[in-house]
Amino acid sequence: LVRDPLVTMCNGNESVLMGIALQVCHAACNGELYSRPFIESFEETPMLLAVLTYMSYGILTIFGYLRDFMREWKIEKCHTAREREEQKDFVPLYQDFENFYTRNIYMRIRDSWNRPICSVPGATFDLVECSSNDYNWTFEYTGRVVKDVINLGSYNYLGFAENTGACATAAGEVTVKFGVGVASTRQEMGNLDRHEELEKLAASFLGVESAMVFGMGFATNSMNIPALVGKGCLILSDELNHASLVLGARLSSSTIRVFKHNNMQSLEKLLRDAIVHGQPRTHRPWKKILILMEGIYSMEGSIIRLPEVIALKKKYKAYLYLDEAHSIGALGLNGRGVVEYFGLDPKDVDVMMGTFTKSFSAAGGYVGGRKDLIDYLRTHSHSAIYATTMSLPVVEQILTSMKCIMGKDGTTIGLSRIQRLAENTVYFRRRLQEMGFIIYGNNDSPVVPMMLYMPAKLGAFGREMLKRNIGVVGVGFPATPIIESRARFCISAAHTKEMLDRALDVISEVGDLLHLKYSRHKVLPSLDRPFDETTYEENEE
Amino acid sequence: MALGDAWKQLSWFYYQYVLVTALYMLEPWERTIFNSLLITVAAMAVYTCYVFMPQHIMAILHYFEVVQ
Repeated sequence: LVRDPLVTMCNGNESVLMGIALQVCHAACNGELYSRPFIESFEETPMLLAVLTYMSYGILTIFGYLRDFMREWKIEKCHTAREREEQKDFVPLYQDFENFYTRNIYMRIRDSWNRPICSVPGATFDLVECSSNDYNWTFEYTGRVVKDVINLGSYNYLGFAENTGACATAAGEVTVKFGVGVASTRQEMGNLDRHEELEKLAASFLGVESAMVFGMGFATNSMNIPALVGKGCLILSDELNHASLVLGARLSSSTIRVFKHNNMQSLEKLLRDAIVHGQPRTHRPWKKILILMEGIYSMEGSIIRLPEVIALKKKYKAYLYLDEAHSIGALGLNGRGVVEYFGLDPKDVDVMMGTFTKSFSAAGGYVGGRKDLIDYLRTHSHSAIYATTMSLPVVEQILTSMKCIMGKDGTTIGLSRIQRLAENTVYFRRRLQEMGFIIYGNNDSPVVPMMLYMPAKLGAFGREMLKRNIGVVGVGFPATPIIESRARFCISAAHTKEMLDRALDVISEVGDLLHLKYSRHKVLPSLDRPFDETTYEENEE
Repeated sequence: MALGDAWKQLSWFYYQYVLVTALYMLEPWERTIFNSLLITVAAMAVYTCYVFMPQHIMAILHYFEVVQ
């Protein structure tokens, strides 16, 4: 996956500042489509780094083959799963690259993942320390609990993951009154009045006619896309869509075509081809064309170009399915998501889907849209027929947090959290870019991926940060391309500025220790006022 | 202490080498194998240079007719 060099995706004016091209989008650019600057950058992988990363994977592969040979010839004890003696002549199960990678590369740095925590994952958490004597094949508890580890990994965007406060009290009360389990599916006995109230509230929150909630976010996507599209329909899905969207698209047995990530030219070309040529052999027109995209892509931190997608959708008469898992609650002036962020009309998006896991700190997902669409889904969705409904404490948590965000509980806590999240995001991203790390994504997205590239640095980064009491999430091969491993920070409204400063100092220290400051585009420290001719002199150094 | 600083700098360089070649993730005996192989190959290269460099330099100078 080759990226373009530092590009800002807006047709703004280019102002060359001391030889460094800095494309800034002014507010009035591109006519009516974008009402605010859209600054997104994916810096190109430096060539030397790519070569060294491939070399390190090569060395790991050679040693992986050596260890596999030793395990095969019983020189070394085998800890992994293997076939039984009787099955040796069957089709091999564990020989593909994924299993090789898991056995020989992932296992060596496995202690940075699946770390058990023992407190509520708010702005800080407590970690149960584990150690391994046989190089991460087995772990034992040391008995120590690491307290107050700063949490840069939880999807706690608005800080509602707390065990005190209105949400927790409400959830506790309803548990005492109704119990925890619902013990039925939605269509049988599982439809309580709290669910209907939640759906009305969700619909008014999103600005749509009607909404429906489901118990699991992944199942919302994978079970509802097959209900909406079927054979003879076309799905245009983004390259980097989440596994739930891909699974739902495959289960629906429609034709799937993939366009380049967030690339409107690629999408338009596919739309034109679809309309001109129709279905593959018969050339009949497609029954439906559905565009699957996400609001914020969590591995890249990029935001969908929603105004352009909606313009394309209207021009070519396609439908848009927007998955706002990470962007609901996190973007927009009132937290209403990416539609409000761009100032667009929610009625333009045909199917608005989202999850309650991230900003509302609950579980489950929703689908919102026109009333006839949601009524159809109530009868035809697999999730409504077969899956248990959302349990009541979770419904209470969502109701309370949503009312807090909307301001309906009479306080301004929700609004202040949204503003604090936006400030934290902008500050954190700016400071990281000034330090010289390669950061992907849009300046406004609270998901901040920082590139590490090498597998050893991925393991070392997790360990060194934990030694300094900061918990981060590293992401490697199956979720990202093989040389582009990264550490993904999730900013929260619960983080105070002191916490962020401490985290940034530690990240800078670890970045110097591991030599992670790869960026070659030296970003100038930001100005407090808009750029004009008189500011040239200040930037001479 | 200048020696202490030099030792710290050297150990930071060794740490970078271990990170970049992914030896950081390998067990100590695997690191020993890799380092031995690397040092063997490097030693052979240095030895070959030492043995053959005079002949090569004389050949170059002879070609450019600097020395007969």
